[in-house]
Amino acid sequence: MLNRAQQPPVKIAEHINIPQPAFINLKNGSKLLVINEGDVDVCRIDILFNAGSRYQTQKLEAVASTSLMPEGTKKYTSQQISEYFDFWGSFINVNADKDFARVTAYTLTKHISQTLDRLEHIIKEPTYPTDEVRVWASRGKQNLTVQLDKTSTIARMELFKNIYGENHPYGMFAMPTDYDKISRENLAGFHASNFGSEGAIIILSGKISDTHINEAVKYLGTAKWGNGKLGSNAIEDSNPNLGKQFVKKDNAVQSAIRIGCEVCHRTHPDFTDLSVANTLLGGYFGSRLMKNIREDKGYTYGIGSYMVSLRDSTLLAISTEVGANFTKNAIHEIWKEIDRLKKEPVPLAELNKIRSHLTGEVLRSFNGPFATADSIIGLLNYNNLDYSFHDRLMNSIKHINPERIMELANKWFNQETMVECVVGPENPF
Amino acid sequence: MISFERFTLDNGLKVIVHTDKSMPIVAFNILYNVGAKHEDPNRTGFAHLFEHLMFGGSVNAPNYDEPVEQAGGENNAFTSNDITNYYLTLPKENIETAFWLESDRMLSLAFSQKSLDVQKNVVIEEFNQRYLNQPYGDVWLHLRPLAYKVHPYQWPTIGKTPEHIASATLTEVKNFFYSHYAPNNAILCVAGDISANEVITMANKWFGPIPSRELELKSIEKEPKQNEFRSLELTRNVPYNSIYKAYHMCSKNHSDFAATDLLSDILSNGKSSRLFQNLVKQKNIFSNIDAFITGDNDEGLFIITGRLNDDYSFEKAEAAIEQELEIIKTNSITEYELEKVKNKFESSFTFGLTSANEIALNLCQYDLLGDAHMLNSVVSTYRQVAIADIEKVAKAIFTRNNCSTLYYKSEK
Repeated sequence: MLNRAQQPPVKIAEHINIPQPAFINLKNGSKLLVINEGDVDVCRIDILFNAGSRYQTQKLEAVASTSLMPEGTKKYTSQQISEYFDFWGSFINVNADKDFARVTAYTLTKHISQTLDRLEHIIKEPTYPTDEVRVWASRGKQNLTVQLDKTSTIARMELFKNIYGENHPYGMFAMPTDYDKISRENLAGFHASNFGSEGAIIILSGKISDTHINEAVKYLGTAKWGNGKLGSNAIEDSNPNLGKQFVKKDNAVQSAIRIGCEVCHRTHPDFTDLSVANTLLGGYFGSRLMKNIREDKGYTYGIGSYMVSLRDSTLLAISTEVGANFTKNAIHEIWKEIDRLKKEPVPLAELNKIRSHLTGEVLRSFNGPFATADSIIGLLNYNNLDYSFHDRLMNSIKHINPERIMELANKWFNQETMVECVVGPENPF
Repeated sequence: MISFERFTLDNGLKVIVHTDKSMPIVAFNILYNVGAKHEDPNRTGFAHLFEHLMFGGSVNAPNYDEPVEQAGGENNAFTSNDITNYYLTLPKENIETAFWLESDRMLSLAFSQKSLDVQKNVVIEEFNQRYLNQPYGDVWLHLRPLAYKVHPYQWPTIGKTPEHIASATLTEVKNFFYSHYAPNNAILCVAGDISANEVITMANKWFGPIPSRELELKSIEKEPKQNEFRSLELTRNVPYNSIYKAYHMCSKNHSDFAATDLLSDILSNGKSSRLFQNLVKQKNIFSNIDAFITGDNDEGLFIITGRLNDDYSFEKAEAAIEQELEIIKTNSITEYELEKVKNKFESSFTFGLTSANEIALNLCQYDLLGDAHMLNSVVSTYRQVAIADIEKVAKAIFTRNNCSTLYYKSEK
């Protein structure tokens, strides 16, 4: 007789096989990592440079000099480049965040040589034609202006600004008028002094043979070029402005709420335990914040608590958009949940649920070549490719106890060290 | 080539299995043939509200999410105008939990007033967050009823207004469930490191005992041919003017579908595409422009949308779009251009089948359209499209009387 009231037995993986590719040192000072997985004939090429916005002297230099790489090189015009990639069915993504610039190409494996050939020109010899810079800037300015119309964008910027300080590399944001100030010379200058073979890391993932690896080495790993940075310089101390911040946005039907602070870095001994504690609070669908504020009260479509990794810092951010008339109650409930985490030991059933959920998450983060590549890029950027990070994480998932969670909540989740930002029609504070 | 086995249980549930030993995470996808187009025009947003209620516990399993989390799994769902789709991924050892939970909520929901009240609120906040609290967020609330006068695609999945959601009662919810959620109205696909035999055994064990149900088979009226140019002007507190042009096009099963899709790609897929090169890069009339098809199962829309640069009026911008649409109708598409969009299609299609859940969803969707095997012939269908096919479609679609235009005006 079928017993529908009983969940079928579940097994939780004891050990997860995590691929640990080693660096291949290339002649020109770049390094290569290869993740050969998958059944479909596709692959991805990532190239990482220590050329994020922290190294710029003027706002937007990093993101503009990366984004405009495919918009004209010594040998090819922007249109020729986009025609070429489109024809071969390759997709190019170029972007820079606060720490890193990243060039990504997706290609059918059978077209990897064609893709690499043009990729080489883009990263080594962009010319930043004035017309292209102008079009890029005018589009970027429009996009940002539209983004700034959203309560969520303003709230996010406020959070970073108040946690790090508005002149800190991690707390700084470009405004629409900054787009008027960039020029060809800025960008060429930034490229010349921040991009190069030294310090660059290439990651090949997908269904890859030795021939493909040799092709990548030929185009990207042989000749020395540019002035790459090793990215070893430290960042200045943050200068937080703690407490409550409100930005008025008339007529908004929802308020954006962001609450957060700087927490320990990914290399710190507390980190993996803290990320388990954070998952409990707001890191998955069944988290306490979701259960209370969405599933019990219906104040929001979603709420989460995130550990945001930067190269030299980690930020904790609780984030939600709530109906404007629920703003006060929602903030109250967030603090109530944090308080509960500090004072009440977590019931074992809930803790076991978290253990299985997180084990599944780790499995999923290595499911397929591109998920694996993303996880390894994370390790590379934030843990110096220290593979023991995942052993520590699995150890925390398996063995963390209720007392340790209370200890960490008391150590890291304190109202006195947090920033609270609300953007909405009415000040809740 | 995506290989699979397909069988049907006695109660009408269709089951598809794709075995791939290299995928340690198994995907479980169940598609119900119910979407916003099956709703009563005075009760819109129901299919989507229902998707939320499906997570409120079922008759024997009071909680849906917790057992999934205990099994190390992940789950979610989406509702479109055509379908409601639920999916889970689980470590392969624990896949039976998906059979247990999904069969139990197909059997019957718990139907609690509390769950209904809370999910009504959550959905209204979703309405606020996605449609009202975003610049340009309400476009589809206005463009759909402009283009469709008869067919239920005239409202978005979230519904016409939050009031429809707010007034839903528990009785209506129950009726909706029993007339749409049934083994004979669903397609299940399991993909990953699992054999067809294992799936057959578990499907029979968990879904087999659920009796088939009498479905509400309301026929959906076809949208009559549009015979006049329609337009609407909205003024909103947004930074820039935007234009949206919607042209009626064929259904997904139609032999012109691939040509129509490639037509949209020639116009705007990728930075080398015509609209981007000509209207953004060269003439600088728009800061963004896009042409795409809605890809609905019934007769859908071909949309062209652009955000205007400040120096250009709606009139000039619209004329520039229309000029491009005129040009593409005769003797302008080259073999090279066609080859390019076909290559690009093949590439994105291939990249779209790299995970177990994408494969499972696609197999279910093609099966609903008539045959899961179509998944393996899509690329060759696109490869066979000729320039003349695309020109024919362009001539048929891009006429003034087939167009609904929304002028979305900035207050500033």
